Amino acid sequence: MSLTTSLYLPIAGNSVNLLVILGLGGGVGLLSGIFGVGGGFLMTPLLMMFGIPPTVAAASDSNQIVGASTSGTYAHFKLGNVDIKMGLLLLVGGVVGGTLGVQVIKVLRAMGNADFLISITYVLMLGFVGGYMFLESLQAMRKCREPQAEAPPKPQSPYARMISNLPFQMDFARSGVKLSAAMPLVLGVLVGVLSAIMGVGGGFIMVPVMVYMLRMPMHVVVGTSLFQILFTCVNVTIMQSYQNHTVDFVLALLLLLGSSIGAQVGTKIGKKLGGEQLKILLASLVLVVMFKMLYDLLARPEILLAYMGGH
Amino acid sequence: MARSITVLRSLGACCALLLALAVLLPATAGAQDALTVVTEPASIRMGTQYDGIDLKITGNVPAGSDVVVRFTGAPAKLHLRRKGKVFGLLWMNVGKVTVDNVPKVCLVDSSAPYTQLAPAAESYRLEGLRDDMKIEEGADSADLDIVHELLLLKESEGLYSENAGGVVLGPDEGGSRTFSATLPVPSALSPSDYVVQVMALRDGAVIGTASTPIHAELVGFPAWLSHMAFDNALLYGILATVIAILSGLAIGMIFQSKGAH
Repeated sequence: MSLTTSLYLPIAGNSVNLLVILGLGGGVGLLSGIFGVGGGFLMTPLLMMFGIPPTVAAASDSNQIVGASTSGTYAHFKLGNVDIKMGLLLLVGGVVGGTLGVQVIKVLRAMGNADFLISITYVLMLGFVGGYMFLESLQAMRKCREPQAEAPPKPQSPYARMISNLPFQMDFARSGVKLSAAMPLVLGVLVGVLSAIMGVGGGFIMVPVMVYMLRMPMHVVVGTSLFQILFTCVNVTIMQSYQNHTVDFVLALLLLLGSSIGAQVGTKIGKKLGGEQLKILLASLVLVVMFKMLYDLLARPEILLAYMGGH
Repeated sequence: MARSITVLRSLGACCALLLALAVLLPATAGAQDALTVVTEPASIRMGTQYDGIDLKITGNVPAGSDVVVRFTGAPAKLHLRRKGKVFGLLWMNVGKVTVDNVPKVCLVDSSAPYTQLAPAAESYRLEGLRDDMKIEEGADSADLDIVHELLLLKESEGLYSENAGGVVLGPDEGGSRTFSATLPVPSALSPSDYVVQVMALRDGAVIGTASTPIHAELVGFPAWLSHMAFDNALLYGILATVIAILSGLAIGMIFQSKGAH
C-alpha cells in the first residue's frame, strides 16, 4: 500500500511490493546457489501467490534465472567447479529432449489426458528423486559417524561395469570421471523430455542424474548444472518474449537483484556444507514440494475453475 | 459478442424509456437533470506507482431514492480449466471451459441491502452477470455451476466485488438528493474502456439510470515497456537476456572481488 514500495508491472498487469519481490528473489537465489537448481519449481508458484499470472510468472522467472545462473556459473567457474565439456553434452541432449517433450505434450493433449499424466509424473519424479537422495545421504552420513574401519574397496557394481563398457569413452577431467560421451547426451534428452512435460527447467532432475548416473562429485554437479541452465533459460526467455509476450523484464530484474545476491551467499554456504549435507537438504526440499503437490491433488480446491496456462 | 452488445443496448434503451416515463410522470419524478454521475478521477492513469485506486463516484438522484453503483467493463472471452475428481480421488484439470462476454472487472455497491431494493437491482449484482455471460464450451458439466465458480475466481483476485450499504445518501433537497460511493478499483486492471453505472430505485421500481465512461490507460514507463514487449518482441527478448547476463556477471564480479582476500 505504501507509495514507496509498490510498483506496477505492465506485462504482468498487476502491481507488486518491491520488497516482497526482492525477498522472494533472495530466498530462491540462496537455494539455487547452494544446490545448483534454477528454482523455477519454487519461484513460479510463489509469484502466482502474489498475483502474477502463471504464464508471466514462469517466463519472467526464466529471464531472472539467466542472470542468476550467470552469476552462479561465474562464481563456480572461479572455484573450478564447472565441467564445460559435460555441460555442453547435457545441453545438446537437453535441447533435443525439450523439443521432443513439447511434441509429446501435444500428442497427450490431443488424447485428452495430458494433465493427469503431468501431475502424476511430477509427484512420482519428485517423490522418487527426493526419497532416494534422502535415504542415500542419510546412510552415507551414518557411515561417516561410525568408525572408518570398514572401508574395503567396493567391488565394481554392475552399473559401473556397464558404463565402462560403453563405446565413445571420454575423459571428463573436471569431474574426474571417464564415461561414454553418449551417456550425458542420452540422459540430457531424458531430462529434457521430462522438464518439457513438467514445464520446469529441470535442475532438480538434472542434479540427481549427474550425481547418481554420471557419478560426478557434488560440487562440480552444482556448477555444471548452473552452466547448463543458463543456456536453457536464454532460449526460453527469447522464445517467450517473441511468441507470447509473457516476459516481464522489470519483474525479472527485481528478482535477479535479489537472487544474484542470494546465489552468491548460497555458493559460499554450499562450499562450507559437505556434499552429503547438501544432498540431504536438497532431498528434503524436493520432498516438501512433492507433499505440497500431493496435497493439492487430494484436497478439494476452493474454486473449481482456473485460468489456462501454467500448471 | 455482437449479440450481447445489442442485448445491452436494448437494456439501455429500456432503461432510458423507464427514465423518460419517470420524468413524464410529474407526481413521482423530479427534474430531468435529477440523475447525474461524476467520477473522481475522471480517467485512470496506470503509471509506475499504480496500485489500484479508490474511485470516488458522486452525483444526484431523485429525492427519496436508493442507489446502486457499478464499475464494469472490458468484456472478453475467457478460457478456463475445469477441476474435477479423477478416479474418485485426485483433483485435477478435467476439461476446458470457455465463457464469452466476461467483464474484466465488476464492482458493485448499494445504499441499502439488496433485499430491501427492487428486484430490478439484481441485474446490477454479480449474479446478474449470469444473463450476459455465454458459456461456449464445457456447458455439459452438469454438476458444476460454471458462472458461480467464475464469480468466485474473479472475487478471489479482487476483480469482482459486491458490497451493500457503502453508498452514502444525502438528505432530500428539493426534488433530489446527493449520493457518494467509493469503489476499490483493483491493481490488476487492464488498460481499457470501463463504465460507471448508477441505478436509482424507489418504491420497488427503477426510476432512473445514468452512466459515465471511464478510460484506463498505461502512462509513463509502463506504457513504454508494454510498447516494447508487444511491438518489438524479439529485440525486447534479446535485450532482456543480455541485460540479465550483464547484471549477473556484474554482481558475480562484485562478490568475487569482495570475497578474494
